[in-house]
Amino acid sequence: MTTARRRPPIAVVAVAAVAVAFFALPLIGLLQRASWSTFGHDLNTSQSREALRLSLVCSLSATALSILFGMPLAWVLARIAFPGRALVRGLVLLPLVLPPVVGGVALLSAFSNNGLLIKPLNQFLAQHTDWHIQLTFTTAGAVLAETFVALPFFVITVEAALRTMDRRYEDVAATLGADRWTVFRRVTLPAILPSVIAGSVLAWARALGEFGATITFAGNIIGRTQTLPLAVYLALEGNPDVAIALSLVLLGVSLIVIVSLRDRWLERS
Amino acid sequence: MRRSLTVTLAVILSLGFVASGCSSSKQADTATTGTTVSSAAPVTGTITVSAAASLTGAFGTIKDDFVKANPGATVTINFGSSGTLETQIESGAPADVAAFADEATMKKLSDKQLLAAPAQIFATNQLVIVTKPGNPKGIKTLADLATAGTISLCADTAPCGKYASQILQGAGVTIPTSSVTQGQDVKTTLAAVTDGDAVAGIVYVTDAQAAGAKVDTVEIPTAQNAVAKYPIAVLKATTSSALADAFMAYVLGPEGQAVLKAAGFQAP
Amino acid sequence: MTVSAAFRLDLGDLHLDLSLDIAAGEVVALLGPNGAGKTTVLRALAGLQGIDTGRLTVAGDVVDDPEAGVFRPAERRPVGVVFQDYLLFPHLTVLENVAFGPRSRGTAKGEARSEARRWLDRVGIADLADAKPRAISGGQAQRTALARALATSPELLLLDEPLAALDAGTRATVRRDLRRYLDDFGGATVLVTHDALDAIALADRVVILEAGAVTQAGTIDEITTRPRTSYVADLIGVNLLRGDAQGTTVTLDSHQGEVTIAERTEGPVLLLIRPHSIGLYRQRPEGSARNRWQGEITGFDLLGDRVRVRLGGAIPLVAEVTPAAVAEMRLVEGESVWATVKATDITAYAR
Repeated sequence: MTTARRRPPIAVVAVAAVAVAFFALPLIGLLQRASWSTFGHDLNTSQSREALRLSLVCSLSATALSILFGMPLAWVLARIAFPGRALVRGLVLLPLVLPPVVGGVALLSAFSNNGLLIKPLNQFLAQHTDWHIQLTFTTAGAVLAETFVALPFFVITVEAALRTMDRRYEDVAATLGADRWTVFRRVTLPAILPSVIAGSVLAWARALGEFGATITFAGNIIGRTQTLPLAVYLALEGNPDVAIALSLVLLGVSLIVIVSLRDRWLERS
Repeated sequence: MRRSLTVTLAVILSLGFVASGCSSSKQADTATTGTTVSSAAPVTGTITVSAAASLTGAFGTIKDDFVKANPGATVTINFGSSGTLETQIESGAPADVAAFADEATMKKLSDKQLLAAPAQIFATNQLVIVTKPGNPKGIKTLADLATAGTISLCADTAPCGKYASQILQGAGVTIPTSSVTQGQDVKTTLAAVTDGDAVAGIVYVTDAQAAGAKVDTVEIPTAQNAVAKYPIAVLKATTSSALADAFMAYVLGPEGQAVLKAAGFQAP
Repeated sequence: MTVSAAFRLDLGDLHLDLSLDIAAGEVVALLGPNGAGKTTVLRALAGLQGIDTGRLTVAGDVVDDPEAGVFRPAERRPVGVVFQDYLLFPHLTVLENVAFGPRSRGTAKGEARSEARRWLDRVGIADLADAKPRAISGGQAQRTALARALATSPELLLLDEPLAALDAGTRATVRRDLRRYLDDFGGATVLVTHDALDAIALADRVVILEAGAVTQAGTIDEITTRPRTSYVADLIGVNLLRGDAQGTTVTLDSHQGEVTIAERTEGPVLLLIRPHSIGLYRQRPEGSARNRWQGEITGFDLLGDRVRVRLGGAIPLVAEVTPAAVAEMRLVEGESVWATVKATDITAYAR
């Protein structure tokens, strides 16, 4: 039975159109301000190339870490009722509401050379080895900062899926002799796969755009920690053309990924 | 200098009277043309001052003193890297007075006809190397910076960055790119040493002084050092020219200069 | 005994107290109203739920003994389960579903699939091997679920309402097929159902579970000839009254009257009155029947060529008459009628 054809409600469409304009106008403005004649050159400077490379490397690493640590965390939060679970969940989701720079300061207090963890760790290492650990001003530090803000996105998406999936299938698998790992691999994961993908994309997008925590914790070092957003920020002062060119690259990549993924997952559901 | 200043002020004030008739909701300027700036009757109005980050401490004090002397005046100070502030003003951000850390940045504004009158130098500053307390890496010269670890420098878009580049180039020192973390203004650059893990940085003498015990300083020999000249100017777009002029005059006057000296700035 | 269970289990409002022994090859039907705890019993046997006190033994191994600290989770018990709604893995084909068990127990993929194919053959759906669960019918899904459970060669097979999800037409056919497969199965079977027909067709023994406790257990014959609770009586479709006998007079517990029975008895009794033994009259009948009660018609149930007339009133009863009789007497809901029963038609037995 087909639904009756009705004209869409005008008022609702009008408001939606305003919202679309709100997003479209800045993008169009950027495209218009871009210096197309120097576009290629602006992107080809060594600083730009480094920023692009770093952004890719760091955001993908941060996403991988988010999945690696986020999956078990989501599972524990969804499946094990332990005392203080709500508190732990709040803690993990804190970076979602924390201003990124505050996140950076927090990271410093724990992971800088004087930090809560690193200082005693380095003291211990100094006694027994020649090694010492430095996370600030390193690419690893940038990855750490990006993971800090991206992981909650992954966890929140996957935890929701784990909670709402039909858990009877896991019971079924158990009665057929599957141990916990097999149940996870062959029953749970396939059931939550769309959410895992969505969570990974969200985490990746967040990591790619991360600025405040990165610049505060990892610093702004060309070739080591100066990712695209940091490069844009600095370029804005003296080289707005370069800033806009880099911004458009970020925009383009993000747009491609989001558009291509949305269709796939809309189809599925 | 004082007399030409008074004449300039008188001219500007009369223009201001004429202009104030066209302004919208700002309070009417009430000022008399005093003989010396420092004993002018209190001026009222509201102004925004865009000041270089290195002026944070000094201008904070100057603002408080100025407002005490001119009750009824509201002064808001916007601190940032001179480069950023200049870009903002160019894009139409409302500011009445600009105080930058180098002349080149101020020149951009004057080239675009955005100044009400030529800028004046109100202070100079020099640069210094700052290190972690106790100077654990034993830095003694500029050359030591190349191998000490992560060094915090201002980005080239800020005057302190330009000065630092100038100093390092002049001394023939190259710090590897992978060891340099760039701050977008001098306060951020300083913070990387005081609160972050940078082993050393190059900032203004005044910033090192403000940081107190949080840093140790290593002098840059005068021959290799740069002299930062700080210009101040009233912007053409100001809607409270009397107050703007009064503020600029205050900075250039004895009270302002005393505060600047106490902060470590040198005479213009 | 393949299965030996004696345990207590508290879950929310349910307080389960069960004692059950099942031999290999036996099919036991667990019957009871909703909320009685039947599914909980299954889950406890399967290892999806732990018991509180007592012991569970399957195929000679203790699988649950809280006092001894023994608990074998589901994946380590030789128990196969056919779940209500079948719960076939939606992302796997029929073949992969059936192969899941063997593969989980370590069989190589190829071998597991061959085994699965053999099982699909046995239940007659070999041609559906590559179909996805959403593309097959209810009856086919049920057979897939059965094959999947049997492919692990369990010692105990548990079926949770295996026919409930099927429409009436399919149910009869599937019931027959299920009987065949259960006959072939060598282990013990527990079948949970709320449908007496399922129990009659498939089970050797029946255990009635009401509110967590076993109220009656025995063969179908025993249950149907001597029901002990109203639930069972309703299930079979007979009338059951409770009273105290003194000779041939039974005073009903409900104090709503007396019933005359044929044989002299003493003490608390249950009275079984089959619906077709009840005669209905519009006027107060004269005659030899000593038991006469008045009642109001509360509803009719048509059962093929008979009509069940539900009577409310002092002594609620269900009478069975022919449609012709209903028409003749012009029986209508809400009307008052007289019901009579001969003393010799009442079976009385000790409670």
